[in-house]
Amino acid sequence: VADRVAIREFLQALLRNIDDTEGFSDSDSLIASGRLQSIDTLEVVLFLEENYAIDFAERGFDLNELDSVDAIMTLLGN
Amino acid sequence: MNIIPQVDTYPRVVSFCQTTAGKAATLAAFAATLILNRVGPWIALTMVAAVITFFPARRRLMLSLGALYWLIFDHGWLRVDITRQIAKAEGQRTDWAFALMAGIVLVGVFCGIAAFVHHVRVQRLSFSSRRPVLVLVCGFFAVLMAAGTLPLHGLARVLVWLLISVLAPYLWFFAYALTDAASKTPERLEVQFGFIRPFWMGEFGSFVPIAKGAAYLRKVEAKTPKDFAIVQLKAVKLLMWVFVLKSLEWVFDRAMHGGTNHLLQRLFQVNNLPNLGIPTLAAAYQQTAAGGRLPLPLAWGCVTANFVEALLSLYVVGNVAVACCRMAGFHALRNTYRPFQSQTLVDFWNRYYYYFKELLVEFFFFPCYLRYFKKHPRLRLFAATISAATAGNLLYHFGRDYSNVAEVGFWKAVSRFEVQATYALFLGVSIGISQLRNRRERKAMSLPRRVFASATVILFYALLQTFDPEDRVYPLSVHVTFLWNLVQP
Repeated sequence: VADRVAIREFLQALLRNIDDTEGFSDSDSLIASGRLQSIDTLEVVLFLEENYAIDFAERGFDLNELDSVDAIMTLLGN
Repeated sequence: MNIIPQVDTYPRVVSFCQTTAGKAATLAAFAATLILNRVGPWIALTMVAAVITFFPARRRLMLSLGALYWLIFDHGWLRVDITRQIAKAEGQRTDWAFALMAGIVLVGVFCGIAAFVHHVRVQRLSFSSRRPVLVLVCGFFAVLMAAGTLPLHGLARVLVWLLISVLAPYLWFFAYALTDAASKTPERLEVQFGFIRPFWMGEFGSFVPIAKGAAYLRKVEAKTPKDFAIVQLKAVKLLMWVFVLKSLEWVFDRAMHGGTNHLLQRLFQVNNLPNLGIPTLAAAYQQTAAGGRLPLPLAWGCVTANFVEALLSLYVVGNVAVACCRMAGFHALRNTYRPFQSQTLVDFWNRYYYYFKELLVEFFFFPCYLRYFKKHPRLRLFAATISAATAGNLLYHFGRDYSNVAEVGFWKAVSRFEVQATYALFLGVSIGISQLRNRRERKAMSLPRRVFASATVILFYALLQTFDPEDRVYPLSVHVTFLWNLVQP
Protein backbone atom coordinates (compact mmCIF):
# COMPACT_ATOMS: atom_id res chain seq x y z
CA VAL A 1 0.00 0.00 0.00
CA ALA A 2 2.85 2.35 0.87
CA ASP A 3 4.38 1.73 -2.57
CA ARG A 4 1.11 2.49 -4.32
CA VAL A 5 0.74 5.73 -2.36
CA ALA A 6 4.34 6.72 -3.08
CA ILE A 7 3.94 6.05 -6.80
CA ARG A 8 0.67 7.93 -6.93
CA GLU A 9 2.17 10.93 -5.18
CA PHE A 10 5.16 10.86 -7.48
CA LEU A 11 2.97 10.79 -10.60
CA GLN A 12 0.78 13.56 -9.21
CA ALA A 13 3.86 15.73 -8.65
CA LEU A 14 5.10 14.93 -12.15
CA LEU A 15 1.77 16.00 -13.66
CA ARG A 16 1.69 19.15 -11.53
CA ASN A 17 5.09 20.06 -12.96
CA ILE A 18 3.52 20.24 -16.39
CA ASP A 19 0.50 22.18 -15.13
CA ASP A 20 -1.81 19.16 -15.18
CA THR A 21 -3.85 19.23 -11.98
CA GLU A 22 -6.67 16.91 -13.09
CA GLY A 23 -7.21 13.83 -10.99
CA PHE A 24 -6.61 10.27 -12.15
CA SER A 25 -7.50 6.80 -10.99
CA ASP A 26 -4.95 4.02 -10.49
CA SER A 27 -5.95 2.41 -13.78
CA ASP A 28 -5.97 5.62 -15.85
CA SER A 29 -3.54 5.64 -18.71
CA LEU A 30 -1.14 8.56 -18.44
CA ILE A 31 1.28 8.05 -21.34
CA ALA A 32 -0.98 6.60 -24.04
CA SER A 33 -3.56 9.30 -23.25
CA GLY A 34 -0.93 11.98 -23.81
CA ARG A 35 -1.03 13.41 -20.27
CA LEU A 36 2.57 12.38 -19.80
CA GLN A 37 4.91 12.51 -22.76
CA SER A 38 7.15 9.53 -23.28
CA ILE A 39 10.07 11.85 -22.54
CA ASP A 40 8.53 12.64 -19.11
CA THR A 41 8.65 8.96 -18.27
CA LEU A 42 12.39 9.18 -17.81
CA GLU A 43 11.51 10.80 -14.47
CA VAL A 44 9.48 7.68 -13.66
CA VAL A 45 12.41 5.51 -14.75
CA LEU A 46 14.76 7.47 -12.47
CA PHE A 47 12.29 7.19 -9.58
CA LEU A 48 11.99 3.42 -9.98
CA GLU A 49 15.72 2.95 -10.43
CA GLU A 50 16.53 4.98 -7.33
CA ASN A 51 13.76 3.74 -5.03
CA TYR A 52 13.21 0.17 -6.19
CA ALA A 53 16.58 -0.68 -7.75
CA ILE A 54 14.99 -1.68 -11.03
CA ASP A 55 17.49 -2.13 -13.86
CA PHE A 56 15.53 -1.61 -17.08
CA ALA A 57 18.57 -2.35 -19.23
CA GLU A 58 18.66 -5.78 -17.63
CA ARG A 59 14.94 -6.65 -17.50
CA GLY A 60 13.83 -4.92 -20.72
CA PHE A 61 11.85 -1.73 -21.13
CA ASP A 62 8.23 -1.37 -22.14
CA LEU A 63 6.54 2.04 -21.93
CA ASN A 64 3.21 0.31 -21.29
CA GLU A 65 4.57 -0.90 -17.97
CA LEU A 66 4.80 2.72 -16.78
CA ASP A 67 1.47 3.86 -18.19
CA SER A 68 -0.57 3.88 -14.95
CA VAL A 69 -0.26 3.34 -11.21
CA ASP A 70 -1.62 -0.19 -11.68
CA ALA A 71 0.86 -0.95 -14.47
CA ILE A 72 3.76 0.24 -12.32
CA MET A 73 2.51 -1.83 -9.38
CA THR A 74 2.38 -4.88 -11.66
CA LEU A 75 5.93 -4.11 -12.76
CA LEU A 76 7.06 -3.91 -9.13
CA GLY A 77 5.21 -7.14 -8.36
CA ASN A 78 7.15 -8.90 -11.11
CA MET B 1 -14.46 29.94 -28.57
CA ASN B 2 -14.00 26.79 -30.64
CA ILE B 3 -14.09 27.07 -34.42
CA ILE B 4 -15.10 23.43 -34.69
CA PRO B 5 -18.04 22.43 -32.46
CA GLN B 6 -17.07 19.95 -29.72
CA VAL B 7 -19.61 17.39 -30.97
CA ASP B 8 -17.87 14.52 -29.20
CA THR B 9 -18.92 16.07 -25.86
CA TYR B 10 -22.65 16.32 -26.73
CA PRO B 11 -24.37 13.29 -25.10
CA ARG B 12 -27.24 13.21 -27.62
CA VAL B 13 -24.87 13.27 -30.59
CA VAL B 14 -22.74 10.53 -29.05
CA SER B 15 -25.85 8.40 -28.43
CA PHE B 16 -27.08 8.97 -31.98
CA CYS B 17 -23.71 7.97 -33.45
CA GLN B 18 -24.08 4.54 -31.84
CA THR B 19 -27.21 3.81 -33.91
CA THR B 20 -27.12 2.50 -37.49
CA ALA B 21 -28.30 5.85 -38.87
CA GLY B 22 -25.77 7.69 -36.73
CA LYS B 23 -22.94 5.45 -37.91
CA ALA B 24 -23.95 6.08 -41.52
CA ALA B 25 -24.06 9.84 -40.82
CA THR B 26 -20.58 9.75 -39.24
CA LEU B 27 -19.23 7.85 -42.24
CA ALA B 28 -20.84 10.34 -44.63
CA ALA B 29 -19.28 13.22 -42.67
CA PHE B 30 -15.93 11.41 -42.76
CA ALA B 31 -16.15 10.94 -46.54
CA ALA B 32 -17.23 14.57 -47.04
CA THR B 33 -14.33 15.94 -44.99
CA LEU B 34 -11.88 13.69 -46.86
CA ILE B 35 -13.22 15.10 -50.15
CA LEU B 36 -12.99 18.65 -48.78
CA ASN B 37 -9.37 17.98 -47.91
CA ARG B 38 -8.78 16.51 -51.37
CA VAL B 39 -7.64 13.16 -50.05
CA GLY B 40 -7.29 11.08 -53.22
CA PRO B 41 -8.22 7.58 -52.00
CA TRP B 42 -11.27 8.78 -50.02
CA ILE B 43 -13.46 5.97 -51.36
CA ALA B 44 -11.11 3.21 -50.20
CA LEU B 45 -10.53 4.92 -46.84
CA THR B 46 -14.28 5.29 -46.28
CA MET B 47 -14.90 1.67 -47.29
CA VAL B 48 -12.40 0.35 -44.73
CA ALA B 49 -13.76 2.71 -42.07
CA ALA B 50 -17.33 1.60 -42.90
CA VAL B 51 -16.63 -2.09 -42.44
CA ILE B 52 -14.82 -1.41 -39.15
CA THR B 53 -17.67 0.85 -38.01
CA PHE B 54 -20.33 -1.80 -38.56
CA PHE B 55 -18.19 -4.80 -37.56
CA PRO B 56 -15.87 -3.50 -34.82
CA ALA B 57 -15.22 -7.05 -33.64
CA ARG B 58 -13.51 -7.67 -37.00
CA ARG B 59 -11.29 -4.59 -36.63
CA ARG B 60 -7.98 -6.46 -36.80
CA LEU B 61 -9.01 -8.52 -39.83
CA MET B 62 -10.09 -5.33 -41.60
CA LEU B 63 -6.83 -3.62 -40.72
CA SER B 64 -4.97 -6.49 -42.35
CA LEU B 65 -7.19 -6.41 -45.44
CA GLY B 66 -6.82 -2.63 -45.63
CA ALA B 67 -3.03 -2.88 -45.41
CA LEU B 68 -3.08 -5.58 -48.10
CA TYR B 69 -5.28 -3.42 -50.35
CA TRP B 70 -2.84 -0.51 -50.18
CA LEU B 71 0.13 -2.80 -50.69
CA ILE B 72 -1.37 -4.24 -53.87
CA PHE B 73 -3.08 -1.21 -55.40
CA ASP B 74 -1.37 1.92 -54.08
CA HIS B 75 2.22 1.16 -53.07
CA GLY B 76 3.90 4.41 -54.10
CA TRP B 77 6.12 4.28 -51.01
CA LEU B 78 7.97 1.22 -52.37
CA ARG B 79 9.75 3.43 -54.96
CA VAL B 80 10.00 0.58 -57.46
CA ASP B 81 10.93 3.17 -60.09
CA ILE B 82 14.45 3.47 -58.63
CA THR B 83 15.01 -0.29 -58.78
CA ARG B 84 13.54 -0.46 -62.25
CA GLN B 85 16.11 2.10 -63.42
CA ILE B 86 18.87 0.01 -61.84
CA ALA B 87 17.52 -3.10 -63.59
CA LYS B 88 17.52 -1.22 -66.88
CA ALA B 89 21.09 -0.01 -66.35
CA GLU B 90 22.17 -3.57 -65.54
CA GLY B 91 20.57 -4.92 -68.70
CA GLN B 92 17.95 -6.88 -66.77
CA ARG B 93 14.32 -7.27 -67.72
CA THR B 94 11.93 -4.57 -66.58
CA ASP B 95 8.66 -6.17 -67.70
CA TRP B 96 6.50 -8.70 -65.86
CA ALA B 97 9.58 -10.68 -64.82
CA PHE B 98 10.78 -7.65 -62.84
CA ALA B 99 7.36 -7.24 -61.22
CA LEU B 100 7.39 -10.95 -60.31
CA MET B 101 10.86 -10.62 -58.80
CA ALA B 102 9.77 -7.56 -56.78
CA GLY B 103 6.76 -9.52 -55.52
CA ILE B 104 8.93 -12.47 -54.50
CA VAL B 105 11.35 -10.16 -52.62
CA LEU B 106 8.40 -8.47 -50.88
CA VAL B 107 6.91 -11.79 -49.77
CA GLY B 108 10.38 -12.97 -48.75
CA VAL B 109 10.94 -9.89 -46.59
CA PHE B 110 7.55 -10.29 -44.88
CA CYS B 111 8.19 -13.99 -44.26
CA GLY B 112 11.64 -13.16 -42.89
CA ILE B 113 10.22 -10.55 -40.53
CA ALA B 114 7.43 -12.94 -39.45
CA ALA B 115 10.10 -15.52 -38.61
CA PHE B 116 12.06 -12.88 -36.67
CA VAL B 117 8.94 -11.81 -34.75
CA HIS B 118 8.24 -15.46 -33.93
CA HIS B 119 11.84 -15.93 -32.80
CA VAL B 120 11.61 -12.87 -30.51
CA ARG B 121 8.42 -14.26 -28.94
CA VAL B 122 9.79 -17.75 -28.41
CA GLN B 123 13.53 -17.35 -27.70
CA ARG B 124 13.29 -14.49 -25.24
CA LEU B 125 16.80 -14.73 -23.85
CA SER B 126 18.89 -14.62 -27.02
CA PHE B 127 20.67 -11.37 -27.93
CA SER B 128 18.55 -10.90 -31.09
CA SER B 129 15.39 -11.22 -28.97
CA ARG B 130 16.56 -8.78 -26.33
CA ARG B 131 17.81 -6.24 -28.90
CA PRO B 132 15.66 -6.99 -31.98
CA VAL B 133 15.48 -3.40 -33.25
CA LEU B 134 19.26 -3.03 -33.03
CA VAL B 135 19.67 -6.21 -35.10
CA LEU B 136 17.07 -5.06 -37.64
CA VAL B 137 18.45 -1.53 -38.08
CA CYS B 138 22.09 -2.66 -38.20
CA GLY B 139 21.11 -5.33 -40.73
CA PHE B 140 19.38 -2.77 -42.94
CA PHE B 141 22.29 -0.33 -42.89
CA ALA B 142 24.77 -3.16 -43.50
CA VAL B 143 22.84 -4.12 -46.65
CA LEU B 144 22.65 -0.45 -47.70
CA MET B 145 26.40 -0.04 -47.17
CA ALA B 146 27.13 -3.24 -49.08
CA ALA B 147 24.93 -2.08 -51.96
CA GLY B 148 26.73 1.25 -52.10
CA THR B 149 30.30 0.02 -51.76
CA LEU B 150 30.59 -3.51 -53.21
CA PRO B 151 31.06 -3.93 -56.97
CA LEU B 152 27.74 -5.69 -57.53
CA HIS B 153 26.48 -6.23 -61.07
CA GLY B 154 23.59 -7.80 -62.96
CA LEU B 155 20.87 -9.68 -61.17
CA ALA B 156 22.66 -9.55 -57.81
CA ARG B 157 22.62 -5.72 -57.85
CA VAL B 158 18.94 -5.61 -58.82
CA LEU B 159 18.03 -8.06 -56.06
CA VAL B 160 19.94 -6.15 -53.39
CA TRP B 161 18.25 -2.88 -54.38
CA LEU B 162 14.84 -4.54 -54.47
CA LEU B 163 15.52 -5.75 -50.94
CA ILE B 164 16.46 -2.22 -49.83
CA SER B 165 13.47 -0.60 -51.51
CA VAL B 166 11.14 -3.00 -49.70
CA LEU B 167 12.91 -2.83 -46.33
CA ALA B 168 13.38 0.96 -46.14
CA PRO B 169 9.73 2.10 -46.04
CA TYR B 170 8.80 -0.70 -43.65
CA LEU B 171 11.86 -0.49 -41.41
CA TRP B 172 10.30 1.40 -38.49
CA PHE B 173 6.98 -0.47 -38.78
CA PHE B 174 8.95 -3.70 -38.42
CA ALA B 175 10.77 -2.13 -35.48
CA TYR B 176 7.45 -1.50 -33.69
CA ALA B 177 6.28 -5.04 -34.53
CA LEU B 178 9.46 -6.47 -33.01
CA THR B 179 9.12 -4.27 -29.93
CA ASP B 180 5.57 -5.54 -29.51
CA ALA B 181 6.75 -9.14 -29.93
CA ALA B 182 9.25 -8.57 -27.12
CA SER B 183 6.57 -7.15 -24.80
CA LYS B 184 4.71 -9.16 -22.15
CA THR B 185 1.42 -9.26 -24.05
CA PRO B 186 2.24 -9.29 -27.77
CA GLU B 187 -0.33 -9.14 -30.54
CA ARG B 188 -0.95 -12.41 -32.40
CA LEU B 189 1.53 -12.86 -35.25
CA GLU B 190 -1.19 -13.20 -37.89
CA VAL B 191 -2.78 -9.85 -37.05
CA GLN B 192 0.51 -7.92 -36.84
CA PHE B 193 0.32 -7.42 -40.62
CA GLY B 194 -2.54 -4.92 -40.26
CA PHE B 195 -0.35 -2.69 -38.09
CA ILE B 196 2.53 -2.69 -40.56
CA ARG B 197 1.85 0.33 -42.74
CA PRO B 198 -1.86 0.37 -41.85
CA PHE B 199 -4.52 1.72 -44.18
CA TRP B 200 -4.48 5.18 -42.55
CA MET B 201 -0.96 5.76 -43.86
CA GLY B 202 -2.81 5.96 -47.21
CA GLU B 203 -1.47 9.04 -48.94
CA PHE B 204 1.03 9.88 -46.19
CA GLY B 205 4.17 8.73 -47.97
CA SER B 206 6.40 9.15 -44.92
CA PHE B 207 8.32 6.21 -43.43
CA VAL B 208 7.32 7.34 -39.91
CA PRO B 209 4.65 5.04 -38.48
CA ILE B 210 1.71 7.25 -37.56
CA ALA B 211 0.17 5.88 -34.36
CA LYS B 212 3.27 3.75 -33.80
CA GLY B 213 2.56 0.02 -33.62
CA ALA B 214 0.34 -2.67 -32.16
CA ALA B 215 1.47 -2.14 -28.55
CA TYR B 216 0.39 1.52 -28.51
CA LEU B 217 -2.77 0.95 -30.55
CA ARG B 218 -3.92 -1.78 -28.18
CA LYS B 219 -3.69 0.74 -25.34
CA VAL B 220 -5.73 3.39 -27.13
CA GLU B 221 -8.33 1.16 -28.78
CA ALA B 222 -11.99 2.05 -28.16
CA LYS B 223 -13.39 -0.61 -25.87
CA THR B 224 -17.11 0.28 -25.86
CA PRO B 225 -19.62 1.44 -28.52
CA LYS B 226 -19.79 4.84 -26.77
CA ASP B 227 -16.02 5.16 -26.79
CA PHE B 228 -15.96 4.18 -30.47
CA ALA B 229 -18.58 6.81 -31.34
CA ILE B 230 -16.61 9.48 -29.46
CA VAL B 231 -13.32 8.67 -31.19
CA GLN B 232 -15.03 8.68 -34.61
CA LEU B 233 -16.54 12.09 -33.88
CA LYS B 234 -13.06 13.26 -32.92
CA ALA B 235 -11.82 11.96 -36.28
CA VAL B 236 -14.38 14.03 -38.20
CA LYS B 237 -13.67 17.05 -36.00
CA LEU B 238 -9.96 16.73 -36.69
CA LEU B 239 -10.59 16.53 -40.44
CA MET B 240 -12.69 19.71 -40.22
CA TRP B 241 -9.85 21.45 -38.41
CA VAL B 242 -7.41 20.13 -41.02
CA PHE B 243 -9.62 21.73 -43.67
CA VAL B 244 -9.43 25.08 -41.87
CA LEU B 245 -5.64 24.84 -41.77
CA LYS B 246 -5.41 23.60 -45.34
CA SER B 247 -7.37 26.68 -46.43
CA LEU B 248 -5.07 28.83 -44.35
CA GLU B 249 -2.09 27.11 -46.00
CA TRP B 250 -3.51 27.97 -49.42
CA VAL B 251 -4.12 31.62 -48.49
CA PHE B 252 -0.70 31.93 -46.83
CA ASP B 253 1.08 30.41 -49.82
CA ARG B 254 -0.67 32.78 -52.26
CA ALA B 255 -0.10 35.79 -49.98
CA MET B 256 3.61 35.01 -49.75
CA HIS B 257 4.47 33.80 -53.24
CA GLY B 258 1.47 34.66 -55.43
CA GLY B 259 -0.23 32.24 -57.80
CA THR B 260 -3.43 31.78 -59.67
CA ASN B 261 -6.82 30.34 -58.96
CA HIS B 262 -9.20 29.10 -61.65
CA LEU B 263 -12.33 30.34 -59.87
CA LEU B 264 -10.92 33.81 -59.25
CA GLN B 265 -9.63 33.93 -62.81
CA ARG B 266 -13.05 33.08 -64.16
CA LEU B 267 -15.05 35.36 -61.85
CA PHE B 268 -12.82 38.42 -61.58
CA GLN B 269 -10.24 37.94 -64.36
CA VAL B 270 -7.53 38.02 -61.67
CA ASN B 271 -4.44 36.37 -63.16
CA ASN B 272 -2.01 36.73 -60.29
CA LEU B 273 -3.21 37.28 -56.76
CA PRO B 274 -1.76 40.23 -54.84
CA ASN B 275 1.17 38.96 -52.81
CA LEU B 276 4.31 39.93 -50.90
CA GLY B 277 6.62 38.47 -53.53
CA ILE B 278 8.56 36.39 -51.01
CA PRO B 279 10.85 33.95 -52.83
CA THR B 280 10.88 30.28 -51.93
CA LEU B 281 13.81 28.98 -49.89
CA ALA B 282 15.07 27.05 -52.93
CA ALA B 283 15.14 30.30 -54.95
CA ALA B 284 16.90 32.09 -52.10
CA TYR B 285 19.60 29.38 -51.98
CA GLN B 286 20.01 29.56 -55.72
CA GLN B 287 20.64 33.28 -55.45
CA THR B 288 23.02 32.84 -52.50
CA ALA B 289 24.95 30.14 -54.37
CA ALA B 290 25.33 32.52 -57.31
CA GLY B 291 26.86 35.13 -54.97
CA GLY B 292 23.72 37.25 -54.71
CA ARG B 293 21.93 38.42 -51.61
CA LEU B 294 18.29 38.99 -50.86
CA PRO B 295 17.21 42.26 -49.21
CA LEU B 296 16.84 41.64 -45.46
CA PRO B 297 13.02 41.88 -45.27
CA LEU B 298 12.70 39.40 -48.14
CA ALA B 299 15.25 37.03 -46.59
CA TRP B 300 13.43 37.05 -43.24
CA GLY B 301 10.11 36.72 -45.06
CA CYS B 302 11.54 33.70 -46.81
CA VAL B 303 12.58 32.07 -43.50
CA THR B 304 9.16 32.79 -41.99
CA ALA B 305 7.25 31.52 -45.01
CA ASN B 306 9.34 28.35 -45.21
CA PHE B 307 8.75 27.60 -41.54
CA VAL B 308 5.00 28.26 -41.54
CA GLU B 309 4.48 26.34 -44.80
CA ALA B 310 6.41 23.32 -43.50
CA LEU B 311 4.41 23.40 -40.29
CA LEU B 312 1.02 23.67 -41.99
CA SER B 313 1.88 21.05 -44.56
CA LEU B 314 2.98 18.57 -41.88
CA TYR B 315 -0.10 19.39 -39.82
CA VAL B 316 -2.38 18.62 -42.76
CA VAL B 317 -0.87 15.34 -44.02
CA GLY B 318 -0.01 13.94 -40.60
CA ASN B 319 -3.37 14.67 -39.04
CA VAL B 320 -5.34 13.29 -42.00
CA ALA B 321 -3.60 9.98 -41.20
CA VAL B 322 -4.41 10.39 -37.49
CA ALA B 323 -8.07 11.10 -38.31
CA CYS B 324 -8.30 7.92 -40.42
CA CYS B 325 -6.72 5.99 -37.56
CA ARG B 326 -9.33 7.42 -35.19
CA MET B 327 -12.10 6.35 -37.57
CA ALA B 328 -10.84 2.80 -37.10
CA GLY B 329 -11.45 3.21 -33.37
CA PHE B 330 -8.08 4.20 -31.95
CA HIS B 331 -7.63 7.26 -29.73
CA ALA B 332 -4.37 8.20 -31.41
CA LEU B 333 -2.83 11.49 -30.39
CA ARG B 334 -2.43 14.20 -32.99
CA ASN B 335 0.76 14.28 -35.05
CA THR B 336 1.06 18.06 -34.74
CA TYR B 337 -0.57 19.81 -31.81
CA ARG B 338 -0.41 23.52 -30.98
CA PRO B 339 3.31 23.95 -31.71
CA PHE B 340 3.16 27.72 -31.15
CA GLN B 341 2.36 27.11 -27.48
CA SER B 342 5.73 25.46 -26.90
CA GLN B 343 7.87 27.11 -24.30
CA THR B 344 10.93 24.92 -24.57
CA LEU B 345 12.81 23.39 -27.48
CA VAL B 346 11.96 19.89 -26.36
CA ASP B 347 8.29 20.82 -26.03
CA PHE B 348 8.21 22.14 -29.60
CA TRP B 349 9.87 18.97 -30.87
CA ASN B 350 7.18 17.02 -29.12
CA ARG B 351 4.34 19.06 -30.56
CA TYR B 352 5.67 19.54 -34.08
CA TYR B 353 6.04 15.97 -35.33
CA TYR B 354 4.88 13.76 -32.48
CA TYR B 355 5.26 10.34 -34.09
CA PHE B 356 8.73 11.06 -35.45
CA LYS B 357 9.79 12.20 -32.01
CA GLU B 358 8.22 9.06 -30.51
CA LEU B 359 10.18 6.91 -32.97
CA LEU B 360 13.44 8.58 -31.95
CA VAL B 361 12.60 8.44 -28.23
CA GLU B 362 11.60 4.79 -28.32
CA PHE B 363 14.39 3.42 -30.52
CA PHE B 364 17.27 5.76 -29.69
CA PHE B 365 16.67 7.82 -26.54
CA PHE B 366 15.56 5.12 -24.11
CA PRO B 367 17.99 2.38 -25.24
CA CYS B 368 20.85 4.82 -24.61
CA TYR B 369 19.38 6.33 -21.45
CA LEU B 370 18.78 2.97 -19.81
CA ARG B 371 22.25 1.60 -20.53
CA TYR B 372 24.89 4.29 -20.40
CA PHE B 373 26.29 6.86 -17.93
CA LYS B 374 23.94 5.82 -15.14
CA LYS B 375 26.19 7.38 -12.52
CA HIS B 376 26.28 10.76 -14.28
CA PRO B 377 22.67 11.99 -14.51
CA ARG B 378 23.32 15.09 -16.60
CA LEU B 379 25.65 13.35 -19.03
CA ARG B 380 23.18 10.46 -19.18
CA LEU B 381 20.33 12.73 -20.25
CA PHE B 382 22.49 14.69 -22.70
CA ALA B 383 23.96 11.57 -24.34
CA ALA B 384 20.51 10.01 -24.74
CA THR B 385 19.20 13.22 -26.31
CA ILE B 386 22.11 13.34 -28.76
CA SER B 387 21.59 9.70 -29.60
CA ALA B 388 17.95 10.43 -30.51
CA ALA B 389 17.90 13.95 -31.96
CA THR B 390 21.24 13.73 -33.73
CA ALA B 391 22.24 10.11 -34.41
CA GLY B 392 18.71 8.70 -34.74
CA ASN B 393 17.54 11.66 -36.77
CA LEU B 394 20.45 11.25 -39.21
CA LEU B 395 20.04 7.50 -39.49
CA TYR B 396 16.33 7.85 -40.18
CA HIS B 397 16.87 10.38 -42.96
CA PHE B 398 19.81 8.50 -44.47
CA GLY B 399 17.73 5.34 -44.63
CA ARG B 400 14.74 7.21 -45.98
CA ASP B 401 16.83 8.80 -48.75
CA TYR B 402 18.47 5.52 -49.77
CA SER B 403 18.13 6.52 -53.42
CA ASN B 404 21.15 8.83 -52.83
CA VAL B 405 23.27 5.71 -52.26
CA ALA B 406 21.97 4.13 -55.46
CA GLU B 407 22.75 7.35 -57.30
CA VAL B 408 26.23 8.28 -56.10
CA GLY B 409 27.50 5.41 -53.92
CA PHE B 410 27.60 5.07 -50.14
CA TRP B 411 30.40 7.45 -49.15
CA LYS B 412 29.36 10.24 -51.49
CA ALA B 413 25.82 9.88 -50.16
CA VAL B 414 27.25 10.25 -46.64
CA SER B 415 29.06 13.44 -47.68
CA ARG B 416 25.81 14.80 -49.17
CA PHE B 417 24.46 14.71 -45.65
CA GLU B 418 26.73 17.46 -44.33
CA VAL B 419 23.86 19.96 -44.14
CA GLN B 420 21.52 17.44 -42.52
CA ALA B 421 24.31 16.47 -40.10
CA THR B 422 24.79 20.11 -39.10
CA TYR B 423 21.04 20.41 -38.61
CA ALA B 424 20.88 17.25 -36.50
CA LEU B 425 23.90 18.24 -34.40
CA PHE B 426 22.47 21.69 -33.63
CA LEU B 427 19.10 20.16 -32.87
CA GLY B 428 20.56 17.51 -30.56
CA VAL B 429 22.83 19.88 -28.64
CA SER B 430 20.11 22.53 -28.29
CA ILE B 431 17.46 20.07 -27.13
CA GLY B 432 20.02 18.49 -24.79
CA ILE B 433 20.72 21.85 -23.15
CA SER B 434 16.99 22.64 -23.10
CA GLN B 435 16.32 19.33 -21.35
CA LEU B 436 18.95 19.99 -18.70
CA ARG B 437 17.64 23.52 -18.07
CA ASN B 438 14.06 22.30 -18.09
CA ARG B 439 14.74 19.71 -15.40
CA ARG B 440 16.42 22.32 -13.24
CA GLU B 441 13.93 25.14 -13.55
CA ARG B 442 10.46 23.69 -13.80
CA LYS B 443 8.30 26.46 -12.49
CA ALA B 444 5.26 28.41 -13.61
CA MET B 445 6.04 31.39 -15.84
CA SER B 446 4.22 34.71 -16.12
CA LEU B 447 2.38 35.46 -19.37
CA PRO B 448 5.05 37.82 -20.80
CA ARG B 449 7.75 35.27 -20.03
CA ARG B 450 5.69 32.53 -21.66
CA VAL B 451 5.20 34.63 -24.79
CA PHE B 452 8.91 35.46 -24.90
CA ALA B 453 9.84 31.80 -24.41
CA SER B 454 7.49 30.70 -27.22
CA ALA B 455 8.82 33.40 -29.57
CA THR B 456 12.42 32.33 -28.89
CA VAL B 457 11.59 28.69 -29.51
CA ILE B 458 9.83 29.51 -32.78
CA LEU B 459 12.69 31.73 -33.96
CA PHE B 460 15.17 28.96 -33.18
CA TYR B 461 13.25 26.36 -35.19
CA ALA B 462 12.53 28.76 -38.05
CA LEU B 463 16.26 29.38 -38.43
CA LEU B 464 17.15 25.73 -37.95
CA GLN B 465 14.65 24.77 -40.63
CA THR B 466 16.87 26.49 -43.20
CA PHE B 467 19.33 23.61 -42.62
CA ASP B 468 16.72 20.96 -43.27
CA PRO B 469 16.39 20.95 -47.05
CA GLU B 470 14.55 18.14 -48.79
CA ASP B 471 16.58 18.33 -52.00
CA ARG B 472 20.16 18.51 -50.58
CA VAL B 473 21.36 20.44 -53.62
CA TYR B 474 23.57 23.08 -52.03
CA PRO B 475 26.66 22.62 -49.85
CA LEU B 476 26.80 23.68 -46.22
CA SER B 477 28.62 26.92 -47.13
CA VAL B 478 25.52 28.19 -49.01
CA HIS B 479 23.29 27.53 -46.01
CA VAL B 480 25.75 29.22 -43.64
CA THR B 481 26.09 32.23 -45.97
CA PHE B 482 22.31 32.56 -46.20
CA LEU B 483 22.04 32.44 -42.42
CA TRP B 484 24.89 34.92 -41.99
CA ASN B 485 23.22 37.33 -44.42
CA LEU B 486 20.13 37.33 -42.20
CA VAL B 487 22.00 39.13 -39.44
CA GLN B 488 24.14 41.38 -41.66
CA PRO B 489 22.69 44.88 -42.08
